[in-house]
Amino acid sequence: MTKTSNVAVLGAGTMGSGIATVAVRAGHRTILYDLTEDRVERGLTTTRDFLAKSVKLGRLTPEQGETANANLIGSTELTDLADCDVVIEAVFEDLEVKKDLFGRLDDIVAETTLFHTNTSTLSVTAIASGSRHPERVVGTHYCNPAPLMKLVEVALGRHTADWAHRVTSEFMASVGKTVVITKDMPGFIVNRFLIPWENDCIRALESGLGTKESIDAAVKGNLGHPMGPFRLLDIVGMDIHQQVALRLYEQLRDPRFAPPPMVERMVSAGDLGRKTGRGFYTYDDNRLFGS
Amino acid sequence: MPYFEKIVVVGTDALADGIAAAAEAAGCSVVRVADASDPGGAEDALRAAYLVVEAVAEDATAKHDALRAIASLAARTAVIATTTATLSVTELATAVPGPERVAGLHFLHRTLDGAAVEVVRTDLVAPGVLERLSAFVDELGKVAVEVKDRPGFLLNRLLMPYLNDVVQALDDGLASAEDLDVALRLGLGYRRGPLEMLDDIGLDAHEQATDAAFAALQDRVFAAPPLLRTMVATGRTGGASGSGFHDRKDHA
Ligand SMILES: NC(=O)c1ccc[n+]([C@@H]2O[C@H](COP(=O)([O-])OP(=O)(O)OC[C@H]3O[C@@H](n4cnc5c(N)ncnc54)[C@H](O)[C@@H]3O)[C@@H](O)[C@H]2O)c1
Repeated sequence: MTKTSNVAVLGAGTMGSGIATVAVRAGHRTILYDLTEDRVERGLTTTRDFLAKSVKLGRLTPEQGETANANLIGSTELTDLADCDVVIEAVFEDLEVKKDLFGRLDDIVAETTLFHTNTSTLSVTAIASGSRHPERVVGTHYCNPAPLMKLVEVALGRHTADWAHRVTSEFMASVGKTVVITKDMPGFIVNRFLIPWENDCIRALESGLGTKESIDAAVKGNLGHPMGPFRLLDIVGMDIHQQVALRLYEQLRDPRFAPPPMVERMVSAGDLGRKTGRGFYTYDDNRLFGS
Repeated sequence: MPYFEKIVVVGTDALADGIAAAAEAAGCSVVRVADASDPGGAEDALRAAYLVVEAVAEDATAKHDALRAIASLAARTAVIATTTATLSVTELATAVPGPERVAGLHFLHRTLDGAAVEVVRTDLVAPGVLERLSAFVDELGKVAVEVKDRPGFLLNRLLMPYLNDVVQALDDGLASAEDLDVALRLGLGYRRGPLEMLDDIGLDAHEQATDAAFAALQDRVFAAPPLLRTMVATGRTGGASGSGFHDRKDHA
């Protein structure tokens, strides 16, 4: 891969706009693609705001900021992606939507164009089956917020080719990410261990082994976690935790992944966490972490 | 004036050293006893102590012997704290005279570098004992977390299945030891990855703890993974052994 490439990000939501920021600030020409002008514009604004803030904080020079902005393009036409070397998919977590997009892109881009999927819980191999060239498909799981989090989990599907793996590593190096290599297994590494951990903490709370405060204090104080499990769940959102846990449980059939009853009770009650003002704890404002 | 003016710490390992040093720093007058059955002139100190901390090796016989000797000398109004990580505090307490004086004081790190300490409650404990122990923990500059006397108490109960799970995933080839640690450090902001943590805890200490929890609970999440057994059997126990998950290459 040449030092700068043509990159496309599919889906201009939370992750897509963050990944576009990562690509464009590393000097890659980046197209941010979504279904409607509206969503594209919203994603572009998020990226531009982040770049402006980075310039203000001195993390980028004003020239780097300008170049990045000039390299950032919005689109609602898949055909605009014809010249892309890397396409990073960050659309809804829906297998058919992801497969369909890769299938349509087959007819537009070169055979050597890399397809990256940012799926959290779906199988990379299943998504790759949407393309006539599954060997070019690689799982690249970014963390949220993508511009700030160093880690990308790279998961290789059954048919992922060595060249696709190698070029992916070069791309990740070009955008300054730290890569770990894992299998195409549910939850990769981080969610694979985080979800049962959080479920176990919820079960400990359910069974009265501790209080939310005592468990948070013990975990934070002794394990070197940045915050306790219930503070984290309030940030993640109980609805999201439930969704991810259920999707992993459906694939792994290991009871530790099954959300304990308290999760469903909290979701039913609307106690989703910070975003609704109440989860395990109550919040005066519903400012979200990081915003 | 510290909460417990006169303290005796029984035991000779790093944990006993750490507790004695921290208590002294908090202004307590501390007497060290190596062997409570043979206190060698420290009988008076044991009789006068407001708090006796049993911090001998994590071995049922050693703990029982030490506590029996302590309980026979210590005042009826003294507090006796056991630092056991894997034994039932209730079982230890009921084996000595005056079991209502006994509670658990569980430091997760043998080096005392954890910020929280578990104060373990038994069904027999006298009113005020847990509060006094919590006040002591507070004086050591740590956070007291009151927990039930259940296998693994609170933190190890949560931690052991997670650590076992990571070891099994390593054996299954999910990722390299390095990548498993890096992913959890960078992805979740943990100070240490799980395998680094196991190297620090000592694989043998973890095996002992998870075996005890498995024996008590018969829950397979506590079953020691085969790779852990092999590494302990071949001396790759992390910590002092100099080899564990992070220099496996040298021993492959
Ligand atoms: N949010 C997270 O913390 C996180 C972390 C890692 C991975 N992921 C994964 O990233 C992906 C995106 O998640 P998100 O949180 O950014 O979602 P989001 O809802 O914020 O954004 C998804 C975007 O995709 C667009 N989209 C949907 N179908 C499309 C299509 N056919 N073509 C083009 N655009 C389409 C939507 O309009 C929307 O703007 C999911 O696969 C998710 O599992 C999310």
